[in-house]
Amino acid sequence: MKFTCNTKDIAAAVGAASKVVNAHTTVPILSNVLLQAEDGKISVRATDLELTLEHAFPAEIGESGSVTVPAKLFSSYLGNLPAGLLELTGTPTRASVKCERSNYDFHALPADEYPPLPAATVGSSFTIGAKRLREGIEATIFAASNEEARGAVLMGTLLEIENNSLTMVATDGYRLAKYQTTLDEGINGVEKYIVPSRALAEAARNLGGAESITVRALGAQSNQLQLTSGDTTITVRLVDGQYPNYGQVIPAKFDRSVTVNTQALIGSLRRAELVAGDRASMVKLAVSNQTLVVTASSDVSGNAYEELEVEQTGDDLTIAFNARYLVEILNHVKSAQTAIEFLGPLSPAAIRPVEAPEGGQQLYVLMPLRQ
Amino acid sequence: MFIVHVDIDAFYASVAVRDDPSLRGKPVAIAGSHRRAVVLTASYEARPFGVRSAIPLYRALELCPHLIVVRPEMAKYKEISREVFAIFGARGHAVEGLSLDEAFIDVGGVTLDEAAAFAQTIRADVRAQVGLTISAGVASGKMIAKVASDNCKPDGLLAIAPGEEAAFLAPLPVGRLWGIGPKTAARLNEHGIGTIGQVAELDDARVRQLFGSWGIEVRDLARGIDRRTVEPERETKSISTEETFEYDVRDERVLISLLRDFAKELGEKLERENCTASTVGIKIKRADVRIFGRQTHLSEPTRDPRRIYRAALHCLQRAHLNGTPIRLLGLRVASLTQGDAKQLGLFG
Repeated sequence: MKFTCNTKDIAAAVGAASKVVNAHTTVPILSNVLLQAEDGKISVRATDLELTLEHAFPAEIGESGSVTVPAKLFSSYLGNLPAGLLELTGTPTRASVKCERSNYDFHALPADEYPPLPAATVGSSFTIGAKRLREGIEATIFAASNEEARGAVLMGTLLEIENNSLTMVATDGYRLAKYQTTLDEGINGVEKYIVPSRALAEAARNLGGAESITVRALGAQSNQLQLTSGDTTITVRLVDGQYPNYGQVIPAKFDRSVTVNTQALIGSLRRAELVAGDRASMVKLAVSNQTLVVTASSDVSGNAYEELEVEQTGDDLTIAFNARYLVEILNHVKSAQTAIEFLGPLSPAAIRPVEAPEGGQQLYVLMPLRQ
Repeated sequence: MFIVHVDIDAFYASVAVRDDPSLRGKPVAIAGSHRRAVVLTASYEARPFGVRSAIPLYRALELCPHLIVVRPEMAKYKEISREVFAIFGARGHAVEGLSLDEAFIDVGGVTLDEAAAFAQTIRADVRAQVGLTISAGVASGKMIAKVASDNCKPDGLLAIAPGEEAAFLAPLPVGRLWGIGPKTAARLNEHGIGTIGQVAELDDARVRQLFGSWGIEVRDLARGIDRRTVEPERETKSISTEETFEYDVRDERVLISLLRDFAKELGEKLERENCTASTVGIKIKRADVRIFGRQTHLSEPTRDPRRIYRAALHCLQRAHLNGTPIRLLGLRVASLTQGDAKQLGLFG
């Protein structure tokens, strides 16, 4: 193979792909990225067998073909090149790069040993605005579990598609994030996919090339999902398992609520958490007389007391939360004012933006701490 | 300022004798029952035979065939240790525990006689209230206090007057200095240095040559200069348990079942300490004595044995043992949080 391309194009493509490569892999070829030259385009692909990222960019192809090069090394090398043109010649064992007056030879591994893309048995597919999907990903995946010991299902994010509507849900069993939006092109019926959250993080980072993103189920059992936007494609193996019945844990009705300035509450919670740090980050929220009092205390650090003006409806209440969880949720509420709804000190609380963003609806549910 | 080092004499063995007077005056060793058991403590009667802690039990029985072996009772030792430490701290002095049976006490700016009288009171109180003898060393620094208490064992009290530290240490073998292990001691002997006094006399260049960057510090210790202060009770940072197998274990089911027991034990300990933990790790010693570990972080601190067990199992899977013979398995919980605030779950 032989091609000439812009150094910036190839650096961006290899840089993005190399993030997918597992640094601890024991299979040598999985440390490499695959470069394929064909039809006036170079496609760069990396995989860790669960997640595959492919990005294509235009180039002048001298000779079609493919080569694999060590991802981290090649990416670092490209990142240090000046803007300009680069010529790459690939053989099964070597990739030679000429750029201005420099010549580099990288050891390669035979491209035909690179894992192939999954069989393209296409199941159902839908299309969504790129900005919306990104917003949904940002609003939800942080709430997924990062504890491997509790299993892959909770580490994933649920995508539930029903006709023209997409609901994304992530939970670690203590808090839950839900985002609901409409699709550009929906499906007939209902589909549910549990997607590894890190694949969605990669999607949010890389799928901005076009206005919309096409999502397809692949494989005979629809066990892979492919997200495509412009010249970038992410393919991910779905999590096999039963997602918890999240609808059941979101109370249909609450009997009291406060509306509070989002940033002011974040500030109070962050300060109070400093004091509560050695006690499970426990802060208490006491609502009474249109006032929210945030307190924390620990034998080691001392006491915290913060008062905030709120709009209160319903009875007074005192409830304890892990400040870290609450702050993390509030950081994702895209609204100057936040509404928090309660049922009681030991029941789930719901957190929503007061001014709903145009893209989709956000809802968070957080379980309290029992003191 | 004076520091008192207190050390219960032959702790485990003394407890055994206290609770079974028929053992009095006889060679007693505390050791487990499994094949690789080592002597944890030997009574003073057993020591002339060469029986001492850390030697294998079978060896101890060769050295002293009429040795009486008593199984350890850790729960009892811990309870007694609590009583003894309560006496150490009864006057409000800072106490730094080194182990269940050993501590430094900072008695502050008193005279040597007052410090010695305090040590004597503690010795009398422990004997009267707990029924055990302790030895105490009194000195201006930690190391000398400890060397002093070691030198007057059992049931002794030795106070080193300020200014006499170096003279007290000088004739002692160099291995008694903190930080000088048997290997370093042997190397120093090759250089003709056998006593602490010889280290005290070395010049700057020579101590650096022999000990590297910490040479000056070692020589200061040898001269009786020890600036380390008593660090009162540190917070518990982690809780662990482990077991050495009688025979190397290849069967993962044995390890799994042991992890379940460990998780239960650690869960109970966390409960007693009123703590929760958010790090769980296993320790594995292979038959070739290589030690390694795996650990995992929990999103929410816990003291629930089932969650600890599940996390431990996850660590075990990641260790990829594939039938490797294992000599020791341990389980540890860390990143401890005080209090019993419990994060409620959405799904019950």
